[in-house]
Amino acid sequence: MRICDLLAETLHSLTSNKVRSGLTILGIVVGIASVIAMLSLGAGSQASIESSIQSAGSNLLTVMPSAAGQQGAGFRMAAGNVQSLTREDAEALAGIDLITGAAASAQGNAQIVNKDVNANAQLLGVTPAYAEINNVTVHTGAFISERDDRSYAQVVVLGSSLAEDLFGTDGDPVGQRVRSGNMLLTVIGVLEDKGVSGFTNVDSAALVPLSTAQRYVTGSEYVSSITLAVADEEQMDAAENAVETMLLARHAIADPDYADFRIQNMADMLETVSTVTGTFTTLLAAIAGISLLVGGIGIMNMMLTTVTERTREIGLRKAIGADDDVISLQFLAESVMLTLVGGAVGVLAGWGIGTAAGAVLGVDALVSWNAIALAATVSATIGVVFGFYPARRAARMSPIEALRYQ
Amino acid sequence: MSSDAIIEAAELHKTYDGAGVVTHALRGVSMRIDSGEFAAIMGPSGSGKSTLMHILGCLDTPTSGTYRLDGRDISELDAHELALMRRETVGFVFQAFNLLPRATVMRNVALPMLYTRVPADEREDRAAAAMRSVGLEESLWTHRSNELSGGQMQRVAIARALVNDPSLVLADEPTGNLDTATGDSVMELFARLNGEGRTIVLITHEPDIAQKARRVVRIQDGEIVEDAATADAEIRAYGSGGEA
Repeated sequence: MRICDLLAETLHSLTSNKVRSGLTILGIVVGIASVIAMLSLGAGSQASIESSIQSAGSNLLTVMPSAAGQQGAGFRMAAGNVQSLTREDAEALAGIDLITGAAASAQGNAQIVNKDVNANAQLLGVTPAYAEINNVTVHTGAFISERDDRSYAQVVVLGSSLAEDLFGTDGDPVGQRVRSGNMLLTVIGVLEDKGVSGFTNVDSAALVPLSTAQRYVTGSEYVSSITLAVADEEQMDAAENAVETMLLARHAIADPDYADFRIQNMADMLETVSTVTGTFTTLLAAIAGISLLVGGIGIMNMMLTTVTERTREIGLRKAIGADDDVISLQFLAESVMLTLVGGAVGVLAGWGIGTAAGAVLGVDALVSWNAIALAATVSATIGVVFGFYPARRAARMSPIEALRYQ
Repeated sequence: MSSDAIIEAAELHKTYDGAGVVTHALRGVSMRIDSGEFAAIMGPSGSGKSTLMHILGCLDTPTSGTYRLDGRDISELDAHELALMRRETVGFVFQAFNLLPRATVMRNVALPMLYTRVPADEREDRAAAAMRSVGLEESLWTHRSNELSGGQMQRVAIARALVNDPSLVLADEPTGNLDTATGDSVMELFARLNGEGRTIVLITHEPDIAQKARRVVRIQDGEIVEDAATADAEIRAYGSGGEA
């Protein structure tokens, strides 16, 4: 039997009972669509998390205080309760060959008041190096300068959304004054929109000189983190080792297990997050896959009914010379065509559902070629697997019995 | 043996072994039908005529004995080889027509060519020739087969049986689902096809129908009880025992 004859016969059989074929296809459509929707949402959220980590800079090492002796243990005191890092540590670390920049920062929360408007913001005490290392740029005005930092200047650079909250969309905040606690801060700049990057949303933060934050907000000489830029992403591990060695020496700690700091590597973090979201996506897709299985059982159900209904036709085809293999092939082709059509429609539907759900959830759904190839393979496989038994049953019928069947 | 023989059966036995009870459907049937003959195999139900037809049509193999169809011994063929033999050598006509109901007349007639190597562009021509030879008007060719009358359906089935140009046309109660007038016209068609050189074997339980063949083979309890030209045969209606 020729391929084009096989296709024509298959199409003829399937269109002979459009409602039944349609409903059976629907089962596969639902299955494939849910798998594709889940995969696309998973891939989309993974991409958005990864890009937010990358926009923070995947070549960054972040050093944070950590309770001594807790390194690597399951329990660790909150970084805010431990004070071990200083501005001098940052300056020393900047001297390491592999490190191109170091930015110490102190963190706190503050209420910022402009006349009758006030906003709660994350207050970051930063050095001029912060801008370059964290990849933030000033939209209007200027960033904090060395002089501001040396002179405990009461100046502030506002994140874009914070500026909007305090001054509205039209106001020009530069040169205006805002109050925070007992400080009267002059706004010297507003940052560009950056979006969430890493775990800090700089858009809603207020940046003041590190010295000012230490004197008026945290009241200590310690800093809450040091961010280091590494020259070459390939050398992250080497840089991390160098940083650890230097800090252990500076803090006079012999046993690394008793370090009073910990180092976060953005590349490691990216990998961890990718693994977690990947696992999550697989899980969701597996759950969606169950509906695909149900669709497959629907195919088998329909094919068994069809084989019984068409017993006489099978008898006739055998009488006019179709052998078992051809009969088997014809029924198998029907189930595979059902699942392939279902798969194709399912990919489109899943893409639509993923995009719609993504719009609601704020994620860009990504339908990858891999997901489509997977859908095609899975639906063809379902067609073969669930069509095999009915096809075999048709093929094994005795032509005499089949022709007699009422 | 002459090379003209289409059917050469020798000592065909067929037994069915079901639930411990052995049924002898055929008890040593020997017959020869030559090319160009028009024979009726007649017998009451349970006589073994259906079993014989299945073996003659390569749908089944005998338990013992030899059967040569068109010169080939088919007694030992497997299912695949039997299918090939049916495809090339036999054209079936059934009592219930067995057309594909939703397919057009053309598609039904062309169906057997799906399983052969007839080139696609030749198929319509061959189907058309077959339909003309059974007297199907061209206006019917695009109709669905379930829109036709019984007589038209049987003509479609006969055209389908002819389309692969078989050595043997095997008709199983071809008039059983038709009224007398339509049945007669189908029998006339068979007679005409026979006149054109077709070898036709008819299986029937109706003496009236058998009489229209040129030779009648009567079978009863799995054995041939009479084999004669129609003019000489003593054709009786079964059951009543009265004259036909």
